[in-house]
Amino acid sequence: MRVLRHTRPSLLGAALAVALAGAARAAQPAVWLERMNHALTELDYEGTFAHWQGGRVQMLRIIHRIENGVISERLESLDGSGRELIRSGTRLTCYLPDRREVLVERVPPDSSLLARLPVYDKHLARFYAIHAGPHMRVDRHDTRLITVMPRDRYRYGYRLWIDRAGMPLKIQLWNVRHGGQIIEQIAFATLSIVPHIPNSAFTPHLSTVGYRWLRNQSAPPPPSARLAWNALWLPPGFHMATHVVQVMPGTPGPVDHLVYTDGLASVSVFVERRVEPRAVYPVIEAARMGASHVFSTIVDGHRVTAVGQAPALTVRSIATSVRAVPVTATARPQ
Amino acid sequence: MNEELDSQLSAMFDDELPAAECELLARRLSRDDTLKSRWGRYALMGAVIRAERGVVLQSAVAGRVTAALSSEPQLADGTAGAPPYEGFRSASAWLRVVSGAGLAAAVAVVSILWLRWHALGPIGGPQQMASVSVRGAAHATAGAAVDGFMVPAASTQAASLMPPTALADYVVAHSAYAWPFSGEGLLSSFMAQDSRSLAPPARPEQRALGHGHASAAAH
Repeated sequence: MRVLRHTRPSLLGAALAVALAGAARAAQPAVWLERMNHALTELDYEGTFAHWQGGRVQMLRIIHRIENGVISERLESLDGSGRELIRSGTRLTCYLPDRREVLVERVPPDSSLLARLPVYDKHLARFYAIHAGPHMRVDRHDTRLITVMPRDRYRYGYRLWIDRAGMPLKIQLWNVRHGGQIIEQIAFATLSIVPHIPNSAFTPHLSTVGYRWLRNQSAPPPPSARLAWNALWLPPGFHMATHVVQVMPGTPGPVDHLVYTDGLASVSVFVERRVEPRAVYPVIEAARMGASHVFSTIVDGHRVTAVGQAPALTVRSIATSVRAVPVTATARPQ
Repeated sequence: MNEELDSQLSAMFDDELPAAECELLARRLSRDDTLKSRWGRYALMGAVIRAERGVVLQSAVAGRVTAALSSEPQLADGTAGAPPYEGFRSASAWLRVVSGAGLAAAVAVVSILWLRWHALGPIGGPQQMASVSVRGAAHATAGAAVDGFMVPAASTQAASLMPPTALADYVVAHSAYAWPFSGEGLLSSFMAQDSRSLAPPARPEQRALGHGHASAAAH
């Protein structure tokens, strides 16, 4: 008895402490993001959502299943085009009835149509803050608003309405510094966690008789041996993550594709090897296409184009700092 | 619009429409411009009710809604609150997921159909930066953002550096690295409504899928 009397309060205290710690952790915004990442990759679900971008709305239906580690997905346009995209493991097939074509591509086995957010580590924490907002009701579900706030003007933020299952019922990419302008949004009209999705859900609705099938077959061209391109200035936290060579439609030769990222936002720089006449003033052209800013200029006779779903300042600054540099030189992030 | 349909739409936004009917309505919504317009209005009103930022209302009705709700508390912008969480794993996984995927490139032909070059006006805003001449290479020095731009008059109407389709190709190629919820660019590729207004499709030999050439093959 004496032992019991002595230990009961301790046990209760410990249990209370554990419960409080658990509750505190559950309230952390990062836990909600972890939960969302888990749900997007581990749950089987189907839903209908509106994708808003640049003032346009399209309705889409998505089905996602993971079975024995193999991801199957279906994306279907509800806008009358009949376009379907079916992914099974590493095979991605796009059915385009309006063009009577089928495109086939290989994809990484762990990629997903609604991808996860990157892990929120110390690097990202330097440039983004995450906050848990109020509980809100979206599509008949209780959700928690999680906000990813950029700490400077070089990147956009995110807002995610996440339900208890971890599914993001609404997602916004937004420009915090332009009055909270929404750049892109996904909002589910229906969303169900489904215990079992049959294989039949991943067969095309249309007949492909008479369709032309296009496949990616050839190897990428080699990188340029003579010139190395890099950005001499990058926004804080950005670094070059990828450098590939691509063949683009309408360009006579291969194009260097550089990708700069802070781990969340990314900007692509394309350098065409075709030599252009040198201009007295390096003209830069700007455009917006959907949610992307585009800046194009001529550098040392080569056309340089930067594209990114980032503020114009970020894309423009990177575009105008690209130069041909010695192979050993690297960009110097701030 | 008939009353029943209007009622259904209203119920959808009041969370009172069964899920199955929601999907049917969504399909009809896709085909009916009038309904889509009404849907958009409801969506905006809902956004105002929830005090979402970035929502601009223009109609008189929406204006009254805004006025009626003006006393409601605004949504917190999250500038205060919990400190950044630093307990996550390494951040590199995300790039591994999207890089090299070539997903967007796989539907590049599709995406070109809807992407358009938007001619821009004078400097002044995110959509008003066309044909801006920047100062030379010396201004793009390490450690300094390129904030200053000069606009020589002769160059403000310079010929476009690239055709719209080439620009579209770049946007599509980048979309594999775009924000995580874009389906690596695939969502945009389903923007099919503009396909009818575009030029004939590119020749097969011009297409590039992923990192290599695409080739037509019998299935």
